[in-house]
Amino acid sequence: MRALASEESDRSLESLESRSTSSSPESPTEDRPIAVDLADVTKRYAETTAVDDVSLSVREGEFFTLVGPSGCGKTTTLRLIAGFESPTDGTVRFHGEDVTGVPPEERDVGVVFQNYALFPHMSVGENVAYGLNFADPPGGVSDDERVRELLELVDLEGMQDREPDRLSGGQQQRVAIARALAPGPDVLLLDEPMSALDAQLRERLRVQVRGIQKELGITTIYVTHDQEEALAISDRVAVMRAGAPEQVATPQDIYRRPGTRFVAEFVGDNNVFDGTIRSLGGGGLASVDVGPETFAVVPGERDVAVADGLAFCVRPENLVVAADPSDGLETENATRATVRSAEFLGETTRVHLEWQGQELLVRTRNPLSGKVLVGFDPGDAHVVSVDRTA
Amino acid sequence: MVGAVGGSKRGERTRGGGRVNDRSDPKADGGATAPVDVPASGSDPEDPRSEGEPAGRRNARGIRNRLERRAIALFGLGTILLLLVLFYYPVATVFVEAIVVEGAVTLAVFLELLRDPFYFGDVARLFAGESPLAVASDLLSSDRRIGIVGFTAYQAFLSTLLSVVLGVPAAYVLARYEFRGRRTLRSLTVLPFVLPSIMVAVGFVATFGENGTLNRALGLVGLGPIELMFTLEAILIAHAFYNAPLVARVTTAAWESVDASAIETARSLGASPFRAFRDVVAPQLYPAVLMGAALTFVFTFGTFPIVLALGGFELATVEVFVYRLIQDLNYAEAAALAIVELVITLGILYGYLRYEANHVVRSRGVRPLPRRPLSPPTLSVRELVPRAGIAVYAAVALVVFVSPIVSMLYASVAGPNGLTLDHYRFLIDRQQTAAAFQVRPWPAIRNSLLFAAGALALALPMGVVVSVLTTRRYRGRKLVDAVAMAPLAISGIIVGIGLLRGPVFGIELAGWQITMGGAAAIVAAHAVSCYPFVVRTVAPGLESVDRSFVESARALGASRARALYDVELPLVWPGVVAGAAFVVAISMGEFSSTVILATGTDQYTMPVAIERFIGRRLGPATAMGVVLLVVTSISFVIIDRLGGESFGI
Repeated sequence: MRALASEESDRSLESLESRSTSSSPESPTEDRPIAVDLADVTKRYAETTAVDDVSLSVREGEFFTLVGPSGCGKTTTLRLIAGFESPTDGTVRFHGEDVTGVPPEERDVGVVFQNYALFPHMSVGENVAYGLNFADPPGGVSDDERVRELLELVDLEGMQDREPDRLSGGQQQRVAIARALAPGPDVLLLDEPMSALDAQLRERLRVQVRGIQKELGITTIYVTHDQEEALAISDRVAVMRAGAPEQVATPQDIYRRPGTRFVAEFVGDNNVFDGTIRSLGGGGLASVDVGPETFAVVPGERDVAVADGLAFCVRPENLVVAADPSDGLETENATRATVRSAEFLGETTRVHLEWQGQELLVRTRNPLSGKVLVGFDPGDAHVVSVDRTA
Repeated sequence: MVGAVGGSKRGERTRGGGRVNDRSDPKADGGATAPVDVPASGSDPEDPRSEGEPAGRRNARGIRNRLERRAIALFGLGTILLLLVLFYYPVATVFVEAIVVEGAVTLAVFLELLRDPFYFGDVARLFAGESPLAVASDLLSSDRRIGIVGFTAYQAFLSTLLSVVLGVPAAYVLARYEFRGRRTLRSLTVLPFVLPSIMVAVGFVATFGENGTLNRALGLVGLGPIELMFTLEAILIAHAFYNAPLVARVTTAAWESVDASAIETARSLGASPFRAFRDVVAPQLYPAVLMGAALTFVFTFGTFPIVLALGGFELATVEVFVYRLIQDLNYAEAAALAIVELVITLGILYGYLRYEANHVVRSRGVRPLPRRPLSPPTLSVRELVPRAGIAVYAAVALVVFVSPIVSMLYASVAGPNGLTLDHYRFLIDRQQTAAAFQVRPWPAIRNSLLFAAGALALALPMGVVVSVLTTRRYRGRKLVDAVAMAPLAISGIIVGIGLLRGPVFGIELAGWQITMGGAAAIVAAHAVSCYPFVVRTVAPGLESVDRSFVESARALGASRARALYDVELPLVWPGVVAGAAFVVAISMGEFSSTVILATGTDQYTMPVAIERFIGRRLGPATAMGVVLLVVTSISFVIIDRLGGESFGI
């Protein structure tokens, strides 16, 4: 994990500066102090280890997403942060203060669940106001004023007196967000809040949630199994697998420079090639034998030597295809493949090719069939793992 | 406006205990590794958030929070203490009595009991050291002796058989046919839990007694009279009245949870309707029938008021004999006999639970089997035969289930010269003229109501707390469950005698003589025997409340106890009310421990009064029974309206 010690000393820089950079798309929260910190956190149940020695830091005002397949420990991690579970090992800190073992009601967190969990025996207004029983509304306003403020924030003005189960799924989820925000929590935790909604609504609500988060500058930790959602909404993403993060990075880095083979295959479509380095040439290029073919690849920052095993990936949109093999391709790494099937997706068509017993995915606008020529630019290949022989 | 929502919020945080340090607080950096005591930081004078809030208010909130945080633990502790004092200690004194004779621990009482043919029949000779072969051959001969324990098991077995025979057809009708009043009939199956057994006994005397409705009906057609009172048959029918609805209830539930698509799959694979029933439906019914049978056996093995009223001492079961031994002040033998009974009962329950753990399918059918109309759609043989069977069954059910209640109502207004209110008038006259030793009606009614109210006040919080403690997942939960549910397995007689010999007669504690009034002891015994029913109605509801409700409340700042009060209880309140109704109805009808503890002249309840009337004057007994029926019916209506469906048994 990242080294934190040096960053902690930068706390004096405070939020003013980071606010001013918040318009930058690339990690706007880099210099802010750490809001939530997990150090070597492990959660074991009788049979399984749900969270395995996780260390993570989330900065103030950051939108941080835990993404992974089901059973990867992302929800348990969130529950450890909320205080619903206590770790078997390790420490949870909020603003540097140890909160391990502190019950959830004393943690200043707001939590939104997948099923909204609106109290069915209370009106929308009573739901939003519930947390104000235990804390005065921030900003010195009255409880009623605060409820109005928040319903306005989530575009549900005047809905105070409605019964929660008379609302649509999207509306219920916005009430749940308003309720979580009402006492002015330090950290907002969202556990797959969109997965019960249909696709269109999900995308709209996603934009709205991100908008609210930016407006309030609230530290937000978001759990989802949807990698596309994770990329779209986050400042930083932790891709989790088997109880631990595989990679923690900005969405751009996760997509363009996946740190492991798992990340490469989990996030978006990808083509992974396994090969052996035949030679290292000038210009930072490596020649890699993959089956009978030899491809030129840029190993990047990876330290490689001849005869090393190497896995690299090329995104489908970076594979170039010529419908007629005799046409030839302008890229270096060209090889012949056979079209197996195609899925029409509207904007593009995803074509499944067979190449040397392996499936390749390409994106194209033109119909393809039979034998094709496929290739890629050495710079579009990204090395995901190196198996050193020496 | 929205800027204020986020920007200004941190400085003003006043949530109790003010947990998280403000980011501008320099301590935040240094204190990163030091665990901070939980509520202390809120009262830190340097804490910037303390400004503006008066210290007194802050402290009050801190204290309240601390109390609330421990409320569940405190209530749990209180419940355990109550159980210790009102249940475990008294029951333990009874058991100690069986093994401590004149200050020395001995198994002599037990051995004597086991070797006594009066209790164990020919089997006793086995314990006395005779060869098993000789005993076995004697047991197979026609003049075998089975003793009281053997007879108890024998009648329990026959009662169970009869209950299954009467209960399963009812389940078939309730699960597979649609007709008016089906839902009401289905919820009527909960009735045995609230009908006082002594009242049922009165109903049976009124039906099957010498001058009962059955003999009158037979007389009209020139038959009879038949003598059913004080016969095994009367006891068996009364037991079936009680337990067949239980068998029907659990079997109906299992039948309704069979998924129609499972049968359709079997049929589409080539199974005949009969094969599909045998291979798909029946395996899901067996465990339910067996559960009903196991519970019936346990209930009828420990039967007391029904046998006392309908069988007398000639047909005494173990429990009746325990009662008799207590009346003879032979406590050691009574306790030993009660332990023998308990071991047998727990053995059967344990065997059943082992079976259940391996066999019960807990799948809820997505699509239940469709119900057929009760009136035949066509006049074909296939449609008519099952419905003719149902008609026959309905006639039998009418005699077994309806006639005792109707007969009791009728007997309470029947006089030598037609209808009369004499019996009720007798109750009122007796109120004014009774001698000191005679039972008067008003104190009985008043005591029943008072004891029920007291039992409710104790049992409801106990039941709710135990529900909370047994629906949460933690290590040792099973133990808590067992400790809390033990009162279901121990008979009222034992609890009664334990309370009588312990707290009521006085306990010496550090030089202090502590005694408990008979009335308080009755309330305690009722509360202890009733609160498991609160658990049974509340816990399933709590279990089904999604944990995210509680977690949302807690993330918003509510303590565990506050979340229970604000969120869970409002969501499961029908279960709470149903539990309360059970407590009231069962307390009102409780007989076993009450009859032992009602030693004072003014502590008898309605069931005890009925029992004292029943031998001498049937009329007033039935009139009293009607009063009891009215009160229990009101409880039943409440249960039915507010969540009888959620009752866990």
